[in-house]
Amino acid sequence: MVEPGITEPVVIVGAGHAGVAVAAALRTRGWNGRILLIEAEKEIPYERPPLSKDLLKPGAPEQASPLRTEKFYVDKGIERLAGLSVDSIDREGRAILLADGSRQGYYRLVIATGSRARPLSVPGAQLPGVLALRTHDDAVELKRSLMPGTRVAIIGAGYIGLEVAAAAAKIGCDTTVLEFQDRVMSRVTSAPVSRFFERLHQGNGVRFVFGAAVTAVEGSGRVERLLTADGSSYRADVVIAGIGVLPAQDLAEAAGLECRDGILVDDACRTSDPLIYAAGDVTRFTGSFDGTSQRLECIQNALAQAERVAEDITGSPARSPEVPWFWTVQHGVRLQTAGVRHPEDEVIVRGTPAEGKFSVVYLRDGRLAAVDTIAGLADFRPAKKIIASGAQIDPAAAADPAIPLADAVRAPIPVR
Amino acid sequence: MSKNEVTVIDREGSAQTIAWEPEQTLMEALRDNDLPVLASCGGTASCATCHVFVEKEVFDSLGERSEDELELLVEAEGYRECGSRLSCQIGFDSGLSGVTVTLAPED
Ligand SMILES: Cc1cc2nc3c(=O)[nH]c(=O)nc-3n(C[C@H](O)[C@H](O)[C@H](O)COP(=O)(O)OP(=O)(O)OC[C@H]3O[C@@H](n4cnc5c(N)ncnc54)[C@H](O)[C@@H]3O)c2cc1C
Ligand code: FES
Repeated sequence: MVEPGITEPVVIVGAGHAGVAVAAALRTRGWNGRILLIEAEKEIPYERPPLSKDLLKPGAPEQASPLRTEKFYVDKGIERLAGLSVDSIDREGRAILLADGSRQGYYRLVIATGSRARPLSVPGAQLPGVLALRTHDDAVELKRSLMPGTRVAIIGAGYIGLEVAAAAAKIGCDTTVLEFQDRVMSRVTSAPVSRFFERLHQGNGVRFVFGAAVTAVEGSGRVERLLTADGSSYRADVVIAGIGVLPAQDLAEAAGLECRDGILVDDACRTSDPLIYAAGDVTRFTGSFDGTSQRLECIQNALAQAERVAEDITGSPARSPEVPWFWTVQHGVRLQTAGVRHPEDEVIVRGTPAEGKFSVVYLRDGRLAAVDTIAGLADFRPAKKIIASGAQIDPAAAADPAIPLADAVRAPIPVR
Repeated sequence: MSKNEVTVIDREGSAQTIAWEPEQTLMEALRDNDLPVLASCGGTASCATCHVFVEKEVFDSLGERSEDELELLVEAEGYRECGSRLSCQIGFDSGLSGVTVTLAPED
């Protein structure tokens, strides 16, 4: 597979979900040249989803869940540099510069630097006790600070904030979520799903404050309270900011690669430099199914883009694109989403939320654009297929949970 | 020391024998041996890309499928009532050494 004359490795910056998957997928596709995986963190590359789920459960071990075993990297001849960050890219010289001053040439470069938690930018945000959750170290620090009776204030009712709220409530913390919008997960789901999860959390002792604009964190030597724009004050021993993420695009930006809230990549994950790829949370691209410019922060996208990079580097045929999907688990209830919902989509509820298990389908121009499944996966795979096919859906049939979603398809599925 | 191995029949019908390391789920063993198992959910019974068929005796010896696992499988390509499993939900078991599993077709 390696052409004679290739001596430099494929260098991958960032050993998160995307970076590790690029390395693995290169080997699966027969790439037998050198692969060098460089990661700023010291630990063996690990999974992020459990950091806000299983790891925070009372009594659960603090260890991270490795993405792959140590043996895997050795067996596959994947060279790893851990605890060392990449400082800059010398595109002319086809090399990167590392934090220890060394220089490493590349045959192809893959930027898989992910994203970082958006920092809270109000006075007092630097006080001890104000936390964010992105890394394993963050998760361990958070876990150790959640005790029965601890007053926990979570800023932001996105999925990470809500998963943390569920874990805190389970531990017996006095848990409050402050959210600027008027409902939870407003960016990713519709009102019926928000309402369901709000009730679920409230039933488990979580309080919500909607329309809350946090203006300051106060305390002497450590966080003691939060202030909001309406003049209210909330006592807190621990504050968790779950206010979204920022793409870690600094390296690419400094090297002059095109970025716009994410590194811009084409449908083969190539950046504006043909020798440099990007994959995972750090990218911005045009969605294959809805044609909009987007950044997706989910495992599915990280893995699918990693496959795409490996296909392109090895000259393997491209697989057909996968409908993006995502899951979150709160109080033991799973929300799993396929497709990308737009706020103006028609919303059809399948089933009865009060029964604790239902789906919501989203129609755009009569076609199935996205689905949310709550506490059940029966509609998930059928919906993914229908979304990929671009088929028209009969709204009345889709609203009837007794009719399988596949039977709500109107026209024969057109060949893509 | 005898090694734990499983025989895997891939989607083209060819068989190969792979090592199954303790502490790995069957999905991890398949994936780490370059079998085309995407495992896009990392083994949390969310994606069904790790769907395999196991033999009847093996199927009977494994525990019940969870509701999530079953709901995903029922909608999966080629679902078999007494044979389909998500390989990420099959933990290492030296008693399973020597069995044959077949990769289910992709959607
Ligand atoms: C708590 C939490 C829970 C989540 N739960 C889910 C979930 O349930 N389902 C889901 O689909 N998604 C979930 N996500 C999102 C998912 O984890 C991300 O989409 C995924 O990690 C993206 O992979 P990535 O490789 O792009 O980035 P990351 O996994 O963030 O990896 C990037 C890596 O690059 C390294 N790096 C950055 N800059 C440099 C540099 N200059 N030099 C060297 N190394 C560098 C970083 O240290 C990091 O390890 C969750 C995220 C978090 C934080
Ligand atoms: S790996 Fe996703 S269901 Fe098994």
